[in-house]
Amino acid sequence: MSSANSRPPALRIWTSLVIACAGAVALSGCGVNVHSASVRGTGYVRMDEAIKHHPLYAQLSQLTDAIAAIDLQAAMPQVPLSGAQIAQQTAVLNRELRDAQVRANKILAQKQQDYTRREQQAVAAALAAAGVKGAGTLAAQQMSSQSAQQMQQAASAANSDFMAYQQSVIAQDNAASSSVAKQLEAQATQQYRAKAMQLQQNETDLSLRLTQQDAQQRLAIKMRLSNLAMDETSRKQAQAQLAALDAKEASALNAQRKTDAATLQAYQAQLRNQTGNAIRSQVGAIQAQTQAKIAEHRNQVGAQLRNLGPPALPTNLPPGLQARIQQIHSQFVAQFQADALKTVNDYNATKADLSRQFAALHGADVGATGAAGKELNDLQHRRDALYAQMVGQVQRDAARLAKEQGFSIVFVNVEAATGGYDMTGQVIKDLESQHE
Amino acid sequence: MNIRSLALIIGAVMAAVLLAPGAIAADLTDVGYIDQADLANMPVFVSANRQLTGYKAQLDAQFNNAIKHARTDADRQRVSMVFQQQFSDKQREIIGPLFQRAQLAIAAVSTSRNLTVVVDKRIVIYGGQDITKDVEALFTSPQAISPPAASPPPSEIGFVDQTVLDGLPKVKSANDTMSTFAAAQREVYSAKIAQARSNTEKQQIFAEYNKTLTDKQDQLLKPLVDETKSATARVARRKSLMLVVDRADVIYGGTDITTDVQNELGK
Repeated sequence: MSSANSRPPALRIWTSLVIACAGAVALSGCGVNVHSASVRGTGYVRMDEAIKHHPLYAQLSQLTDAIAAIDLQAAMPQVPLSGAQIAQQTAVLNRELRDAQVRANKILAQKQQDYTRREQQAVAAALAAAGVKGAGTLAAQQMSSQSAQQMQQAASAANSDFMAYQQSVIAQDNAASSSVAKQLEAQATQQYRAKAMQLQQNETDLSLRLTQQDAQQRLAIKMRLSNLAMDETSRKQAQAQLAALDAKEASALNAQRKTDAATLQAYQAQLRNQTGNAIRSQVGAIQAQTQAKIAEHRNQVGAQLRNLGPPALPTNLPPGLQARIQQIHSQFVAQFQADALKTVNDYNATKADLSRQFAALHGADVGATGAAGKELNDLQHRRDALYAQMVGQVQRDAARLAKEQGFSIVFVNVEAATGGYDMTGQVIKDLESQHE
Repeated sequence: MNIRSLALIIGAVMAAVLLAPGAIAADLTDVGYIDQADLANMPVFVSANRQLTGYKAQLDAQFNNAIKHARTDADRQRVSMVFQQQFSDKQREIIGPLFQRAQLAIAAVSTSRNLTVVVDKRIVIYGGQDITKDVEALFTSPQAISPPAASPPPSEIGFVDQTVLDGLPKVKSANDTMSTFAAAQREVYSAKIAQARSNTEKQQIFAEYNKTLTDKQDQLLKPLVDETKSATARVARRKSLMLVVDRADVIYGGTDITTDVQNELGK
């Protein structure tokens, strides 16, 4: 101040006058006459435009884009299922598979009894026609042998079915394990992202808070700097004060960022550890279930095989009659095989369908589960909060400017204006100056 | 002329420019506003809304049962309409009298304060007259509220009903075309995104999707928006209105120019 006092009196008057005029210009909103006939103390702000110039607009856009992107991904035809729903539907599919298997076995057993009875009748008729005494007993004896052969056919079909079942269950096991791992990893990524976003939000809040804290001081320094007649020493002092403010804010923000980075790194390690354990545990459980299923099926086939007795073919029959009985047997075996094959095929078709449903259920993308919906809600919530924060700041700034400039009323978002004063430009400048 | 005199003259001129307006006019002071959220939080409204919510829950259960037995689309539509009507009737029965009393209270307070328009608090950033508490006090008082003797005086604040303008054939047609286009693009791009192998690829696809929609919006809707704004401004100028706001933000009074804007757009 000593340098200003050392100036000649005329220059001092000039300096004071210029400062006074600059102050008046600044306070009167760069020359707007708020009480003129066209303005009449009325102002308005185009909120959408002001928001576009808000320093946090980039963040708002990112959130808006993220929401739209998730929404777009969710537009694929998917059934949103929670983990519990998937488990429930898996249980239903497994039950259906078991039911289909039991049903097929019952049908096969029924068919086998039916064919045995019909073959027995045919053989008895052939024996009776050949004049063999005790045709019924012989036929029954023959039938036990023929029945055994038919059972062997059925067991063979069951065995090949068992192999197919084993392969299919193992494939399902692999798909389920991979899906579980994928889901757990996606869940961990989502948790990590949520944490990162939360920390980022905290940093944004801090940045805004710091800027708001210093806004008045910054504005005062800037007004002083706009004084053209300011001497070099004072100007440097003011610039240094401004730089100190910037440095103080940057330092506080950097400190917060460092802490957050460390927190995030530790959280990532923790998540990785948790996810690894969860994957091992769940995949282990799936594999145990698979082994149990295979063992159960193998036991059923084993029981079928154990029930088969060795065929006891009669040897004292005339060759012609033996040939006739053999022909009858071959005929019924062929019919039974064809009939059994149809049942086995039906069962296989049902099983394949259930396997497809199983794969679709477990192979579903994480977007098909409730996770995407939850993420969408979180993002929407964050976007709304950020938008409200930005609108709040625009309103506060506009109200302050309106008060300083003597407006009577200020509106926001008008459809059309033929009078009043558009304060949007001033508000934008004010927002930008606070965050420079 | 010495330097001191020159400084004084310049100062006087600048002061005259800045502080003494050429045409001084009275400020706009006849605008009031109400915090509708505050009004809705009054116990009587909260209780009424709770009652209505309870009724809706009960109605929803009946509706779900009825819609199960509807076999054709026509049946379903009929069932929906019947239940919608029932809900509207109940709404009128419960909320209607409260709403009417609130309207009377707003009109009475506005008249006593010589207001020409009352708007929602959301659109007033600064100034204006907050009449929320006065309205609430009158509303809760035991006295009967008489309707105002005259309609509100003409206001320099106009309003347009945006929903009516959106219903104009050319606006509706453009909006429908845009919706169809957006739905088709959504299908195309969601399939593309599902096949994307990396996040970068997904971002590229998403950016392309956004651009496609924005371009179409600029081509289809922007000219109509601009045209509507111009028409609104022309009508406002003719009617000597200072500002025009959306109908949804006006609670009482104001000058309705919706029909004029409609006519202007139809020219």
